Amino acid sequence: MNGYCRPRSVSEAVAILAANSGAMVIAGGTDLVIDRRLGRADPQAPLVDVTGIDGLRDVHWDGDELHLGATATVREIESDPAVIVRASALAEAARVLGSVQIRNMATLGGNLCTASPAAEMAPPLMVHDAVVAIQGPDGERRWAVADFATGPRTTILASGEILTNVRLRTPAHSGSCYLRQTVRWAMDLAGVGVAAWVLTDGTGREAAVQEARVALGAVAPTAVLVPGLEALLAGAPPTTERLGAVSAAASAACKPISDTRGTAEHRRHVAGVLAARALSIAHARAAGLWSGGLAPVNGRESAVASSGARA
Amino acid sequence: MRISITVNGDPVVQPVDPSDTLLSVLREQLHLIGTKWGCLTGDCGACTVIVDGRSVVSCLQTVGQIDGADITTIEGIAGRGRMMNDLQEAFVTHGAAQCGFCTPGMVVAAEQLLRDGVEPDGAAIREGLAGNLCRCTGYSKIIDAVLSVALARME
Repeated sequence: MNGYCRPRSVSEAVAILAANSGAMVIAGGTDLVIDRRLGRADPQAPLVDVTGIDGLRDVHWDGDELHLGATATVREIESDPAVIVRASALAEAARVLGSVQIRNMATLGGNLCTASPAAEMAPPLMVHDAVVAIQGPDGERRWAVADFATGPRTTILASGEILTNVRLRTPAHSGSCYLRQTVRWAMDLAGVGVAAWVLTDGTGREAAVQEARVALGAVAPTAVLVPGLEALLAGAPPTTERLGAVSAAASAACKPISDTRGTAEHRRHVAGVLAARALSIAHARAAGLWSGGLAPVNGRESAVASSGARA
Repeated sequence: MRISITVNGDPVVQPVDPSDTLLSVLREQLHLIGTKWGCLTGDCGACTVIVDGRSVVSCLQTVGQIDGADITTIEGIAGRGRMMNDLQEAFVTHGAAQCGFCTPGMVVAAEQLLRDGVEPDGAAIREGLAGNLCRCTGYSKIIDAVLSVALARME
């Protein structure tokens, strides 16, 4: 290949990558173009542009699975009616990522493959127990999204492999929510990002939690799932006391650094606060108690907190 | 490679390096210098253009990806034969420009926001323009200008 090619199929892309070991995959380019300009990525590396691949951008239902194509833009994710209603956490994370312009370019797959510790798409997909599909020279493999990133800017993708789609299920009586804390209201990376997902045994205030997951972004080298929540929550509604235990578990699951977006101590504290808040909203959604639409965007979480408490 | 695009209504066939950015092709090859060369990291929005009905930051848009696209830059916002459209007039009457460097990107981003049917509401407009930085105005007059057009276009 020359310095740039635009395959039309996944198999063609995989074949090109197999034949060009130094080639890099480009999708939206919102990270890679900067990295090439600043020398963080090899500016001479040939580019394999995957945005021309037929079908790789689709968002649709495949049976009871929501299929999210790897090159679906963040803007398409945030405005997809199925995502908004059935995977609210993902829509809420999508609409606080960057600016309108960035969201029109940045892709779901690109966000996962860049694997920033603050990757906005990772926590919501993790709580939805999403599975990624990876295509390589030896065929397709599926992997839990929770194990996709292995560290800052590293993933399980082997040389020559590309991420093709992400799939998740949204059972009845489930709900999710994503909240984050940032220094600025917009155009900022998360200081802390928290996604929560709850499955209840029915509707109403007394609906008991059957399963629950909370994932934290920007507080560890990769987004992390909070362990041990089932024992804290299963079999009862999320009472104030139980939510307090969720906060403590979330804070304990953090391995944060201190930087311009917050000290380690502050991040640990905020992760706990947002975990309880997001879980309470996810429960309200699962139990049919939520009529507030998506949570207000970043910087106005207090409004969400009060409506969550009412729910 | 050679790309065929439409720029402000005119067909353009241009030899390009496909990994070049749309910003550099617009400014250095097509000499459309209204689109500004700002941060080059996608943060400031001064290079905003419309590609197939979506606003993008042209500093991060590789041209290999947009063969066949319909592109509108600040030079094409008013339409043929007009100096300014209603939004540009509103920027003038509201005093929404000071040094002017952010203004082309701000106008282009706001125009697409209006075409997308943004709520005529200050908060929604602020959110929609979060990717366009202005260091002079404090934003209030920009929001006022866009809001006035959002309301006027509803009538």
